[in-house]
Amino acid sequence: MSAELRANFHEQLDQIRNEIARMSADVTELVPRATEILLDADLKGAEHVILGDDDYDARSIELEEQCFRVIALQAPVAQDLRSLVSAIKIIADVERSADLCVNICKATRRIYGHELDAELRGVIRKMGEQAHALFKECTEAYLNLDGPRAAALHDMDSYLDDLQRQFIQVIFESHAAEHIDLQVAVQLAVVARFFERIGDHAVNVGERVRYIVDAWVPEHPYPESDNDPPEVVALPELGTDD
Amino acid sequence: MLLAVLAATIVGVTVGGLLATVLSRRTVDSAHATPVGPSASEATGSSVRDAVDRLEIGVVMFDSAGDVTFSNSAARVMNGTHAGLIVNDHLSQVVKRVRTGGAWSREIVLHGPPRQIIAIEAKPLPRGGIVATIQDVSARALVDAMRKDFVANISHELKTPVGAIAVLAETIADERDPTVTSNLSARLVDEAHRAIRTIDDLLELSRIETKVPADDCVDLATIVDLAIERGKASALGRDIEITALDPGDPIHVRGDRRQLESALGNLVENAVKYSHDGGAVQVRVRVDEPWIELMVADQGVGIPARDLDRVFERFYRVDKARARDTGGTGLGLSIVRHVAANHGGDVAVQSAEGEGSTFVVRLPARLLVTSADSERKPLAAAREDGRE
Repeated sequence: MSAELRANFHEQLDQIRNEIARMSADVTELVPRATEILLDADLKGAEHVILGDDDYDARSIELEEQCFRVIALQAPVAQDLRSLVSAIKIIADVERSADLCVNICKATRRIYGHELDAELRGVIRKMGEQAHALFKECTEAYLNLDGPRAAALHDMDSYLDDLQRQFIQVIFESHAAEHIDLQVAVQLAVVARFFERIGDHAVNVGERVRYIVDAWVPEHPYPESDNDPPEVVALPELGTDD
Repeated sequence: MLLAVLAATIVGVTVGGLLATVLSRRTVDSAHATPVGPSASEATGSSVRDAVDRLEIGVVMFDSAGDVTFSNSAARVMNGTHAGLIVNDHLSQVVKRVRTGGAWSREIVLHGPPRQIIAIEAKPLPRGGIVATIQDVSARALVDAMRKDFVANISHELKTPVGAIAVLAETIADERDPTVTSNLSARLVDEAHRAIRTIDDLLELSRIETKVPADDCVDLATIVDLAIERGKASALGRDIEITALDPGDPIHVRGDRRQLESALGNLVENAVKYSHDGGAVQVRVRVDEPWIELMVADQGVGIPARDLDRVFERFYRVDKARARDTGGTGLGLSIVRHVAANHGGDVAVQSAEGEGSTFVVRLPARLLVTSADSERKPLAAAREDGRE
């Protein structure tokens, strides 16, 4: 009897993971779609994606509810608990990434009618492809609970960060050559940030996967991160007067 | 070719459907029949199962409750990937429809890269249960798009200048001011030339497609020189540097001189057209067994990844809006591809948007003419001399 209950419970966990991965797979498709919409100035497509965002919000709330219910009713421990707690966080990362795709579509509206240089388009396409690759990896790593694959995401993300820096440089050059005006330049810089953030969320999902698999947690302070915490300044010892 | 692709697809679907039906009957039959040991029908069943497993299209079978009873290896290959998740989700939606209604199908687009179009079809089986097929129809969709675009483009390319000619002619007929008339007639001539260029290129293309290539002994250095000259003529005033890289030993090949001139000329002209002012274009010819390579590289606007497959199509334009300023007919690369194919070679392109493009025409090295060959073939050499 209790074995049957356990089997049922694990089925529930697998089902939740499957559904979250399914939403993540949809976002994986949303990234190249938003990139295309931006490059083709496809207003109709942009509208479609923007309206579709409510669906992601509803799904993520529903999935979160399911996690809460399982935690409350089954009182899971060890890996089961890790997988549910991580699921709640992964849902947030995936939902936020869908928002970022929507933001890219909104930017499409704002830069509508402005021609973009081939160089700009080239870097945008590359960023889109890399963000797509990252999200595909994190989705599949989560679906298959593949720790080593999840660990590789960090390196993939550094390439996306490099592309962002390169993109900003190209924006400056294009603006200096008066090919794009300031408004468009600012919008594009924000778009660069959106792509970069999608990559960060994918890395987060990867870290949660590693946490589920073998309880791995990132070392603190983040040794490889770009935004290293400021150098620790030796504080004057308490109780001494200068 | 188009018919062949369509026919292959249809055959694939029919065979898949038939086998799946046979298989399902067997499963249902054996469930109700009294077991008589590993009989002949059992053996047939497992060989049908093996056969279905080797099909390129995915076959999934469901019982009347909607649970999967069988899936072949093509249907399982995507399991564990993000594409698999999406396909499975659509599959269960389609099956749900079929359980309440009749047959149902759906096409899903995976943005890639590479972009894929997957068709899911499901139909109820006569003795209960459902069979679904999953098929990558990207190639078929590409052929459809190609055909549709070709018809639209050819009418556009020919109709635009002819329409302009009609309007200009009408205006001239009513115009009495000689300066306006001469302006209008100059534009009339321009538009007429554009139409002629398109028609010439179309004729050239059909000539290349149908004619057996001539068997000349061609010095590639002269082909390169001619191509560079053609490039320089179209680069007038744009400060684009066209250079031929290290010619090395002279390379002679057997081939159709006119076609090779046209191919390399088109590539260089294209490279110039899509270069930025002040850019550089490089032309290189080399022997790299088993190929002879003719390479043209530029640092211009480049080609987006998703258009790379299609640039060799007739009239295909990467940037539909820009096409007018470059004055091309949209047939150049198509000509290049046919010339390469006529000589038993191919053409490839490598490009990134904003970083320029490199086109490489590869001809088989067996076309090389060594000095020994030319002695043995006085006829070809004589014909060559006669032309010079």
